[in-house]
Amino acid sequence: MSIETIEAEEIDVEEVLGSAIERREDPELVTGEGVYTDDVQDPELAHMAVLRSQYGHAEIDGIDTSEAEAMDGVIGVYTAEDIDEAGTPGDLPVGWLLPDLKTPSHPILAGDRARYQGDGVAVVVAEERYLAHDALDRIDVDYERLDAVVDPKAAVEADAPQLHDWSEDPTDTDVRDDEDIERVPPNQAFDWEIGDSEATDEAFENAAHTVEVDLENQRLIPNAMEPRATVAEYKPGTGEVEVQMTSQNPHLHRQLMSAVLDVPEHKLHIVAPEVGGGFGSKIHHYPDEALTCWCAMQLERPVKWQATRSETYLTDAHGRDHVTHAELAMDDAGTITGMRVTTYAGMGAYLSTFAPSIPTYLYGTLLSGQYDIPAIHCNVIGSFTNGAPVDAYRGAGRPEALYVVERLVTLGAREMGMDPAAFRRQNFIPEDDFPHETPVAVVYDSGDYEPALDAALEMVEYEELRERQAELREEDRYLGIGFSSYIEACGLAPSELAGQLGAQAGLWESGLVRVHPSGTVTAFCGTSGHGQGHETTYAQIVSDELGVPYEDIEIVEGDTDEIPQGMGTYGSRSAAVGGSALATSSQKVVDKARTIAAHLLETGEEDLEFENGEFNVAGAPERSMTIQEVAQQAYLAHNIPEGVEPGLEETSFYDPENFTFPFGTHVAVVEVDPESGEIEFHQYAAVDDVGNQINPKIVEGQIHGGIAQGIGQALYEGAVYDDNGTLLTGSMQDYAVPKAEHVPNMETDATVTPAPHNPLGVKGVGEAGTIASPQAVVNAVTDALQPFDIDHIDMPLTEEKVWRAVNGSEEGS
Amino acid sequence: MEFDGAFELENTTVEEVWLALSDPVLIRDSLPGCEFLIEVDDGDVDFEEQKAAAAERDAEPTGDPEVIAQRAFEEGKRYAALIEVSVGSVNPQFQTTVTIDSREFPEMSASGEGEASGSSFELSSGMELEETENGVTVEWWASTEVFGRIAQMGQRMINPVANRVVKRFFERIQERLEELTLQTDGAESMVDEESDSQGLSQRIRDKIGI
Repeated sequence: MSIETIEAEEIDVEEVLGSAIERREDPELVTGEGVYTDDVQDPELAHMAVLRSQYGHAEIDGIDTSEAEAMDGVIGVYTAEDIDEAGTPGDLPVGWLLPDLKTPSHPILAGDRARYQGDGVAVVVAEERYLAHDALDRIDVDYERLDAVVDPKAAVEADAPQLHDWSEDPTDTDVRDDEDIERVPPNQAFDWEIGDSEATDEAFENAAHTVEVDLENQRLIPNAMEPRATVAEYKPGTGEVEVQMTSQNPHLHRQLMSAVLDVPEHKLHIVAPEVGGGFGSKIHHYPDEALTCWCAMQLERPVKWQATRSETYLTDAHGRDHVTHAELAMDDAGTITGMRVTTYAGMGAYLSTFAPSIPTYLYGTLLSGQYDIPAIHCNVIGSFTNGAPVDAYRGAGRPEALYVVERLVTLGAREMGMDPAAFRRQNFIPEDDFPHETPVAVVYDSGDYEPALDAALEMVEYEELRERQAELREEDRYLGIGFSSYIEACGLAPSELAGQLGAQAGLWESGLVRVHPSGTVTAFCGTSGHGQGHETTYAQIVSDELGVPYEDIEIVEGDTDEIPQGMGTYGSRSAAVGGSALATSSQKVVDKARTIAAHLLETGEEDLEFENGEFNVAGAPERSMTIQEVAQQAYLAHNIPEGVEPGLEETSFYDPENFTFPFGTHVAVVEVDPESGEIEFHQYAAVDDVGNQINPKIVEGQIHGGIAQGIGQALYEGAVYDDNGTLLTGSMQDYAVPKAEHVPNMETDATVTPAPHNPLGVKGVGEAGTIASPQAVVNAVTDALQPFDIDHIDMPLTEEKVWRAVNGSEEGS
Repeated sequence: MEFDGAFELENTTVEEVWLALSDPVLIRDSLPGCEFLIEVDDGDVDFEEQKAAAAERDAEPTGDPEVIAQRAFEEGKRYAALIEVSVGSVNPQFQTTVTIDSREFPEMSASGEGEASGSSFELSSGMELEETENGVTVEWWASTEVFGRIAQMGQRMINPVANRVVKRFFERIQERLEELTLQTDGAESMVDEESDSQGLSQRIRDKIGI
C-alpha cells in the first residue's frame, strides 16, 4: 500500500506538483551532517543551567547563591532579583486575549512564589555544562510549601488553593474594582461560551432521545525528539543579539523576546537551525530562551542552554487537559437536533503564548464535526492549576473537540439502535450544502463526506466484518469496530477575523521568490519547518509555478535576517498559507517576466503563453524565451521596458480568506481480551481528504505519524501529577510514548476535494491523523465491549483500566 | 504515598523491642545510610554543627536499660538525622528532622521532613508492638509526600527503595536484639543466677517507666 518515492532527477516540471519526490532534506539529517542548536560551538561558549522548583506550589522565602558562586568555573548565578535590578521587563506576554481573561504575570524567573514543579528559580552560568548543573545543587532555596491543585475542575471550586493573587495583578484593575469579584472562582482564567444557549436548551427539551458522557481528554507531554535549546551571543559593539534556538517561528520569537528583554526587534537576529520536531511545543515563548539571551548580554559571552529530557517533561507546554460533560439530542428518527458541552480546561500555572485560544476558538468551533446540527452550545472554563502551562500540541483544540463529537455520535447511534456508520451518514452535512455555516461560528467552505466514509467501509469490508464480529462473540472473543469521521480546521485565518477573536498577531505568511541572473531560484518563506519536509514541498510548488527545474530551486526558512517576515509553522498552516505565499510570489515573478519577455519579443503581454518555464508568442511558437533567459535580461537591464525595475524577485504577504477544512473517516478494528484487558489491532484504515496533495509520500508520512501519536493518547500516554503538583510521569520510563511495536499497520487512502480559496487547493495534513485517531480507537474498544454494557472508558485505555471496566471495579466506568 | 507492614522479631519480648526502638543510638546504627541521629532544639538545624556534635558524643549501643533510659526518645522532642538514600542513579543525603508525636507503650508515632538537593519528603509514621508466640510483631505504617527529583521517578522506584530500607532496618534490629540480649544476660548472671527474660522485662519496665 505504501507510496513509492521518486528520485528528484527523474522529475519533469510538468509533473513536479503532486509527485512523491524523495525528501531532499533527509541525506543531511540521516548522516549526521545537520547542525542542531546543541551542535553550535564557540571557543568562548559558557553554559547555562536552570534551577527549577522541586515543589508544585511554594513560597520562596530566600535564595542563597553564595556557595554556588564560589565554585571554580562558575561565572554567574542569577535570580529574579537580578533580572529586576537590571531593569529587564522579563515578563512573558500572552498572544491571545479573551473577554475578561485573567493574565497574571509570568516572570522568566519565579520571584516570591513557584507555581509548578519546574518553574525556574535561579540560573547558573559556568565554563562547563556539567559544572553548571552541579552548581545548581549548591544553591540553597528556602521554600515554604503550599497546598496545590492539579485538576482543572477542582481548581475553580471555592476552597481550592489560589495560584495567583489577582489584587496584585496590574492588568486586572477592571475586575478588582468590580464588586462581583467575590463570585469569580479562585483560579478561573476565563469563562467562555460559543453557540446559542437558548436554542440548544430548547433542542434538548424537545428531544426524543438524548445521550450524555463525562470524559477526560488527558494531559499529554509533547516529546519532540530534540529537547529545547538556545545559543545566544551579544555583540556589545553593535548591540546586536545573535540567537540560535529550537523554534517553530523565529520571527514571532523575535517579536516577543524583543519585548521581554527590551532589545529592539532589529537588533535581535534569530535563527532556527535544524530543529528535531516540535508538535507545537516550540511555538511558545518560554522563560529559558530569554534567560539564555539575558545571561549572554550580562556576561558579554556566548551562552548555551540545552534542556535535559527531564526538563522537557517538566517545562515543555503540555497539551489537552480537559474535563468535559457532553450531551447529544436526537429526534425519534435519529437525526441530531442539538449538542451541549461543558468543559473545564487546565491552563497550568501560567498562560502560555497562545494558550487561551486552544480550548476556545480552536475547540468550540469544531464541535459540529461533519454533522448538520441545528443548535450547539459550548461553555469552557479555563483554570490555573499547579502544572506546566498547557498550550498548542499537535491538533491543539481540535482533537479535544472531535473526541467529544465522535464519542457522542457513537453513543447516539447506540441509543438509537442504529449502525454507527449509517447514523453518521444520516447526519452528515449533505454535499450540496457547502459552504455550510455551523452554529459555532465557522463556515465550512467545502466538503464531501460520504465518499470518504464509503472508501473506509470498503477498505475494512465492513459488512463481512460485522458478521465476523457476531461469529467471534459466540466464541467469547470480542472484536470492535470504531469510527472517526472527523473534521479539521487548519491555516487559521484570516488575520482580521483572528484579531476580532483576540489574536495578538496576524495570521498571514510571507514568501519571497528570487530568480538569480543565471536562472536558478532561491525562495524564502516565513514558516519554519522542523521535520515536515518543506524544502521538498516548497521547491515543488515554486518549480511548478515558474517552470524552473526542481533541482534549481533552493528553499530558505528559519532566519529572521534573511526572510522578510513570518508567522512560523503550526496548525497545519505551512502548505496552505506559506505554500500559497510562495505560489503568489511566483505568479508575480511570472507576471514581471511576462512584461519583460513581451518587450523583448516585441509582442503584447496578452499574446504570450507561459508553459513549463517558457514564454511563447501565441501562434508563433518559434518566438519564445525561457524564464531563465528573461531573468538574465532582467538583471542586465540593458533593454527592459520603461517603468520596469531591473531584477526578478517578488514578495507577497498572503492572508487567507478562511480556514481550510480537511476531513476524512478512520476505522479502527481491535480485539479486546476481557480477561487481561489487552487490546490488539486487527486493522486500521484511514481515508483523508486534505485537498490537493503536493507530495503524496509526505502526506502519507504525516498521516502515519499523526495516527501513531493519536494512538499514543488513546492507549498509552498521560501526564500524571500527584495532589502536591509533583509530576509522577517525569521520564520516558513512566510516560509511555508508543514504540513501533505499539503501532498497527495502517492502510491509507484519500479523496480529493480541493480547498476553494487558496491558489494551490491544498488544506493541510500535519495534524489530521492526531485529530482522527484517538476516538477511532476508543470507539472500537467500547464497541468490542458492548456485551459488557461498557459505553465509555477514559483514555489512556491501559490494560488495567479495560480490565477494571469489564470486571466492574470502581475504577472503571 | 502510603506504606505499611508488619515485621516479626523472634525470641524477644515487647519490652526488649520497646527498649531497642527507644534508643536513638540503636536506631542510628540500624537505619541504612544514617550518619547521625541527635536530639535538637526547635528552629533551624545546622547539620554541619550537629554532625560534629554527634561525633564528639560518641555514644555506644548498649543493652543497659539504665543507659538507654537516659537518652531514650521522648514525646514532643525533636531529633535531627542525616540519612543517605540511593534511589536509582541518585544518592540524595537527606537532612532530616523528626518529632516524636506520641510515645505510649507499646505504641509510638513520629513525624518529620527531610531535605536534599532537588528532593525532599514529608513523613508521618507510627508503630505498635504486639506479643506473639515466637516473639514480637511490629506493625508499622508511614504516610509520605515526596517532592522533586526522586518523586519524579514515581512509585516505580520509590516503593522498592522504601521496602528495602524498612526490611534492612528491622533485620538489623533483630541482630542487635540478639547481641544485646547476650550481653545483658551476661551482666544479669553476675547479679542473679535465677534471672530470666521475665525478670529483664520487669527491669526494663522499671527503668524506662512503662
